[in-house]
Amino acid sequence: MIEVQQLTKNYGERPAIQGLSFSIKKGEVVGFLGPNGAGKSTTMKIITGYMAPSSGQVTVAGFDVFENPVEVKRRIGYLPETPPVYHDMFVSDYLRFVANLKGVEKNRITSLVNSALEKTGLHDERARMIGNLSKGFKQRVGLAQALVSDPEILILDEPTVGLDPKQVAEMRHLIQQLKGQHTIVLSTHILPEVQASCEKVIIINRGQIVAEDSLQGLTKRMSGGGQMVQLRVRRNQDGIVRGLQGLKGVRKAISQGNFIEVESDGDEATVESLSGFVVGQGAGLVEFKVHDVGLEDIFIRLTSGTV
Amino acid sequence: MRAILTIAQKDFKSLVSSPLYFVIAGLCSMIWSYSYIRTLFNFAEQNQAYMRPGADSSLNIQRQVFLSHISMVNILLVFLVPALTMRLLAEEKRMRTYDLLLTSPITATQIAIGKFLAGWGTATVLILISFLYPFATRIVAAYPMGPLLAAYLGMFLVCGAYVAVGLFASSLTESVILSVALGLLFNIVLWMIAQGASGDVSPPVAAVLEYVSLGPHFINFIIGSIKLKSLVFMFSLIGLFVFLTQRVIESSRWR
Repeated sequence: MIEVQQLTKNYGERPAIQGLSFSIKKGEVVGFLGPNGAGKSTTMKIITGYMAPSSGQVTVAGFDVFENPVEVKRRIGYLPETPPVYHDMFVSDYLRFVANLKGVEKNRITSLVNSALEKTGLHDERARMIGNLSKGFKQRVGLAQALVSDPEILILDEPTVGLDPKQVAEMRHLIQQLKGQHTIVLSTHILPEVQASCEKVIIINRGQIVAEDSLQGLTKRMSGGGQMVQLRVRRNQDGIVRGLQGLKGVRKAISQGNFIEVESDGDEATVESLSGFVVGQGAGLVEFKVHDVGLEDIFIRLTSGTV
Repeated sequence: MRAILTIAQKDFKSLVSSPLYFVIAGLCSMIWSYSYIRTLFNFAEQNQAYMRPGADSSLNIQRQVFLSHISMVNILLVFLVPALTMRLLAEEKRMRTYDLLLTSPITATQIAIGKFLAGWGTATVLILISFLYPFATRIVAAYPMGPLLAAYLGMFLVCGAYVAVGLFASSLTESVILSVALGLLFNIVLWMIAQGASGDVSPPVAAVLEYVSLGPHFINFIIGSIKLKSLVFMFSLIGLFVFLTQRVIESSRWR
C-alpha cells in the first residue's frame, strides 16, 4: 500500500531523515515511533504529499506521490499534529466542507458526514462552533475530518497529544474500532498507545530506522526470550544486588532507586532461585514483580544507541 | 471547478460573517453617506445658480458627483481590501488549516483561484453598497446609466486587482499584520508607477510606465469609455498576481 524508498529530507544543512525505506501492507496498523525530533512528522508529511523530499521515492497504492499527488491525496486521510479546524465554523459544516474538498461524490456526503460524526462520538456536538469546543473535541473533529472521505489510508500524527487520560482511552478505543477498515499509520512517542493499537512497529531515531518488526517479533528479538524482575527490599539493597549478579541465569542486576531491576534468562527456575536467594538473605522482601521486556525498555535501548 | 467553488464559498461566507467585515462595511457607508450627500447638495446648488438665463450650462452629474464618489470608494478600497484579504492565506498558515488544503486532492491553482474569488466577491459587496448612492439619486434626477455603469465596471476590475495583490501579500507571510502592510504597499505602488513617467525619462519609458500604472486605465473607465487595452490590462494584472500566489502555494511543497 505504501512503499518508501531511500527517503531523505534536509532542512537547510540539517538532515531530518536519511535514507528511510519501509513498506506498509494493506490493512496493517503501523506504529511509527521515535523520540521528539526524530523525523516522524517529516516522514508523514512527505507521504501525504504535503512536502517533497530532498531525494527518494514514495508510492501510495501504486501512485507516485510527486508525479500524481492528487490521486495519492484522494486515498489518504491525514490528521496533523494540530487538528486543521476552522474556529469560526460549525462542526457539521466543516465536515461537509472537507468532504467537498476531498472530492466525495455529492450523494454520499450526508451519509459520510453522519458516519464520521457517529464514529467519533460527535453527534451531539454537530451544531456547535468549533472554536468553542474543548481540546479533546477539537482533536476528534480533526479525526472526523480524516475519516470523512472514507480513505483507504489513515495517517495520524500524534493523535493523543494534549488529551486527558479519559480522552486518550477514548481515542485509543476509536483507533481500535477503525482497525480492519483502513490501513493506519500512527505516529507517537507514547508507548502504551502502540502496544494497545499496533501490529507492526517502526522505530526511528535521528532520521534513521533502528527497528522495523511486528510487536511480538520485536519484543522477542530484543529480549532474547528474557524477563525482567523488579523487586524491593527493606534492608541491605547493595549487598543483595551484588549477590544476585552471581546467580545462575541472571544476566544483569542493578539498583534503581528503591528498586532492584534484574534481567533473567526467562526460565522459571531462575525466578525461583532468585526469590529463594532474596528471602534467604533475610533482607525483608516487600515487592516482587515479573514481567516481559516491554516496549519501553526496547525503545529506550534502541534510541539511546546502546544496541 | 468544484474544488474552486468549495473554497470560494467557504471563504466568502467566513469573510462576510466576520465582525471585521461588519466594521468595515459600517465605516464605508458612514463615510460615503457623508461625502456623497455633500457633493450632491453642492451640485444641486450650483445647478440652481446655472438655471438662470444666460448662464453656461455645462454641468454634468457624472463628472461632478459620481466621479468624486467613485474616487472616494476607491480610496477606501485601497486601504480596506488588504484588511479583507489578509486572512485568506496568512490565517490558514497560522491556524495550521493550511495542512488540510495542501493534503487535499486539489491543486495550488484551485486554491489560489478559489481564494481570489472569495475575496473579490466580498469586496464586490462593498462596491454594491456604494452603488446604492448614485442609484438612489435616480429618484430625484434623470441621468444616463451607461457612463455610470462603465465607471463601476472599472471600479469592480480595479478592486479585483487589489484583491489579487492582497491575496499575494497574504500568501507570503504567516502574520496578518504584515500581510495588510504588504498589500497596502503593493496597492500604492500600482498607483504610483505613473508618477515615474512625469520625470525626465525618455518617451518610450514614460509610455510603458503609464501603461502599467492603474491610474490611466481607471480614468478611461471613469469617463465612461471601456477600452480593450484597459480591459486586457486589468485582467492581466489580476491574472499575474493570482499566478504569483499559485507559485507561492506550490512552493510550499518543495521548499
